[in-house]
Order: sequence, then structure tokens, then C-alpha cells
Amino acid sequence: MASRRPQGFSSPVTGVGIGLRAPHYRDVLVERPDVAFLEVHSENYFGAGGLPLAVLDRVRGDYPVSLHGVGLSLGATDPIDVRHLGKLRALADRVQPVFVSDHLSWSSVDGRYLNDLLPLPYTEESLAHFCRRVDAVQSALGRPILIENPSTYLELAASGIPEAEFLAEVALRTGSGILLDVNNVYVSATNHGRDARRYIDAMPAHAVGEIHLAGFTRRETDAGVVLVDTHDHLVADDVWALYAYALRRIGPVPTLVEWDSDLPPLATLVAEAKSAERLLEDRDARAA
Amino acid sequence: MHALRELQRSFAAAIFARQPEAFVPHVRSNGLGAKDRVQIYQNNVFISLTEALADVYPVVAKLVGEEFFTFLARGYIRAHPSRSGNLHDFGAELAAHLAQLPEAAALEYLPDVAELEWARHAVFHAGEAGPLDAAALACVPESRQAELRFAIHPATRLVASRFPLLAIWQAHQCDPAGEVRLDSGDHDRLLVARRDYEVRMDRLTHGELALLAAFTDDLAFGEACERALAAEPALDLGATLGRFVADGTLAGFD
Repeated sequence: MASRRPQGFSSPVTGVGIGLRAPHYRDVLVERPDVAFLEVHSENYFGAGGLPLAVLDRVRGDYPVSLHGVGLSLGATDPIDVRHLGKLRALADRVQPVFVSDHLSWSSVDGRYLNDLLPLPYTEESLAHFCRRVDAVQSALGRPILIENPSTYLELAASGIPEAEFLAEVALRTGSGILLDVNNVYVSATNHGRDARRYIDAMPAHAVGEIHLAGFTRRETDAGVVLVDTHDHLVADDVWALYAYALRRIGPVPTLVEWDSDLPPLATLVAEAKSAERLLEDRDARAA
Repeated sequence: MHALRELQRSFAAAIFARQPEAFVPHVRSNGLGAKDRVQIYQNNVFISLTEALADVYPVVAKLVGEEFFTFLARGYIRAHPSRSGNLHDFGAELAAHLAQLPEAAALEYLPDVAELEWARHAVFHAGEAGPLDAAALACVPESRQAELRFAIHPATRLVASRFPLLAIWQAHQCDPAGEVRLDSGDHDRLLVARRDYEVRMDRLTHGELALLAAFTDDLAFGEACERALAAEPALDLGATLGRFVADGTLAGFD
């Protein structure tokens, strides 16, 4: 595997975007909210036709579109699903997205999918394997992808490499970018008793191509508190603070506000994007 | 890759078997217990796959209630696990699964409702085609008409049942659900089709169903007409064909 020097992940878009989900189709088409880009879950557009693709074709005339995947199962040890990859390639050819992304995780083994973002052991073996998979996907797509840090609820005993270093090394070896999910950094750090800021500090700034923000759910169990990445709340105050910290450390990065279940009115999501934009511009103003 | 693969097998096996303790030796213990941590993934997997099923089968979910649906989904997820990172095809076997599930035997119409909901899901996401060139069709000499093969639009499914499926479906679009008489003798033959991006369901007569089913089986027009007339001797074939051309049910011919 050829090791490439990072050139810096040049951003084809600036500002703050929102996730586009089916319940907001009509409002987005009618209201044309003032946001920098729209991001969709790639797999929701793998159908052959119908409303989802028709809406996507329409919005991509007005907004840059980003394709965010949850289904590539990049860390899996089964052969890459070439049908899935073919559909992603066809979708990318159709919408010409500003980003294509998926996760630092796996979701299938022996042909069975759990359709969840399961944690990898951060070992040299996993690193070499994950990089081979990212190389294969990037060659098939003919473009670099962004890899997102997942929310995790457990750490594997076999892990020896800190996740942030693992992710940075993937970017270095494969030329992929990093999709830094600040909410996931916060959720995982809280769940494992780590310092979220140290994670941000370990990010190679030039490789971070996009930031995600979302809301989590706090669950109290007999054994303690756990944060679950549910994407069904406003962005938490602590996560806003961590986002501001990330912007200071990393620089202005296109940012996306995600909301996936119990969707609020579109205006609430747009207001969250405006809040992010103020922090992004603040940081720009100070840098100027 | 061997160690990674074995670890993943072990994690997946613990989740599918709902035995989180089986994976505990692989988990770093830190504050919250290792079993609780595995349990979170187990819950996430089952909840999100159950929600995926409920999204496709909202009427089945309403008919059986939340508790039974959760039980149903658990068994289904293990018997027919998702085979793709894309959930479009997940749930395809629910009607068959219900048909052999002893706990669901009392609701005889349930597999048919599931079949209807899967048809709606498939139609919603199916490809585009047509429209059929009606002018070209009008120019086909009468002597060749019997050999024509009509192509059904890909966003079209036929669902036949000995139960009043459409009434059952409609009664469960509001809360609380309306009442449906199962002994009314209504048998439903439904054309499930996408029109302007919305899924519609229309009742068909015996002859109309036979005609469209023959097209689906790629039979020539002549043979399709024979089947349709056998099912419904009084069927007005010309008018029926004209309607299926006009509404887009037929997307082409050759």
C-alpha cells in the first residue's frame, strides 16, 4: 500500500449544512432554507426510483449534496459487498456529492448484517485491514472518502492504539479525510472516562474535511450513566463548547447538523445550523 | 485478520443470541460494567432493526400491538437476518415467516397484510419506466396483436387475498383503528402502483387481475386475453387495456 503524504483535505463547500430526512422533503423543497449544503444517508437512495431519488435530483440543483453512508461495513472481514459499492458509485455519479463518507466501524460478519456501527479493536492488524478496505473503496469510487469516528459504548480489551491516532493513521496511509463527529467524541469520551479535548488535540487538522454535530440521549442505569448517540435532541451545551474548541484547534471546517429520529420542525434544525454558523464565523473573525 | 474476524464473530454471535455476557471477556471493564456495555449494542441492533421492520409494516405492527411486534421482530431478525448494509431488502420474508409462526396463527389474514405492505414498500422504491407509446400501439396491425408482449411498470405489484385487505389497511390508517368485517365475503384483488410518487391501491376485477398476472408472467397478449376471459367472460378487453395504458400500469410492449 502506497503511503501518501496528506495534501490537506480541500473543502468543496464552506459553512453549515443540515441532514435531509424524508419528513422534511416538502418543507425543504418549498422553503429552500438558507443552509450551505444538504447531507443524506446514501443507502436511503439505493432504490431504483421513486420519491427519494426525485427529491434528491431536485435539491441537488439548489444545494451541494453530501453522501453519508452507514452501510459500507468498512471494518468487516467479509469481502467488500460489491453490489453495495456499485450502488454507491452510481449514486455518487448521479448527484456529484461534495463528500462521500462512512464510519470507522464494522457491521457485518459471515454475511449477516447488524446494521449498527460496531467498534473495532484498535490494533495494528485492524489498522492494516481497515486501510486496505478504504483503499479499495476509494479506488472503486475514484475519489477520497471521509471516515467518521463513531460513538462507542465499549472499548475492546485488544485495543492498544488510541482511536484518534488510529483514525489519523488511516488518513495518512490512505489519503482519506476525517469526518470529525464532535458529538461522538463527547459521547465516547464520557462513556470511557476520557478527555474529549485530548481527542480533538490528536486530530491532524489538515485531514479533517467535515464536522458533524448532533444530539445524544443520557441514560441512567443501575450501573451508571451512559450517553447514547440517538440524533434526536438539540446539540448539548458541552458539545457546542467542544465544537468551539475544535474550530480553534483545527480551523474552519464545513459542519453538518444531524437529526435522525423524533424530527423537529425544519426551522429548529435550521436554527441549530445558524448557531453553528455563528461559532464558525466567530472563529473566522478572530483568525482574520 | 484472523483475530479480528474471530472477535467480530464472537461479538455478532453474542448479540444475535442475546447473550451479552458471552462477549464480556473481550471488553475492557471501566466504570459501567462490560455486560451492560455489550447490552447497549444488543439493544441498538434489535431496536433499529425492529424499527426498520415497523417502518415497512406499520399495519402489521398496529394489528399485533407493540409487545407482540417486538417478539415477532426478535424471531425474524434471527431467522432472516439482514444481508446488506442497505436495509431496503430487509423484511422481505415477513409474510412467509408469519405464515409458519404458531403464535400468529389466530390472525389468519396477517401474512396477506404483510404481503400487501411489502408490495407497497417495493413499489415506492421501484424504478421508472414508460410511458408506453400509445401511437405506436395503435399502428400495430390486427394480425400481429395476439403476439404482443406488454411490460408491466416496475412500480407495480398484484396482491390477491381471500380477506378484505384494502379495508383492513384503510381501517388502520387512523387511531383508533376502525372495524372491519372479516366475514363480509370480500376477497381483494389489488393493483399496488406508484402514481406521482405516491403508492396507490386499486381493486381489480377477476379478469383484470388475470390479464395483468399474465403480462407479469410474460405471456403474449393473445394468451393473456384468453386467461382474462376465462376468469371473467364479460370483461371488456379493449377498454381494460386502454385504461392500463392510460394510467401507466403498462410501460411498454414489443
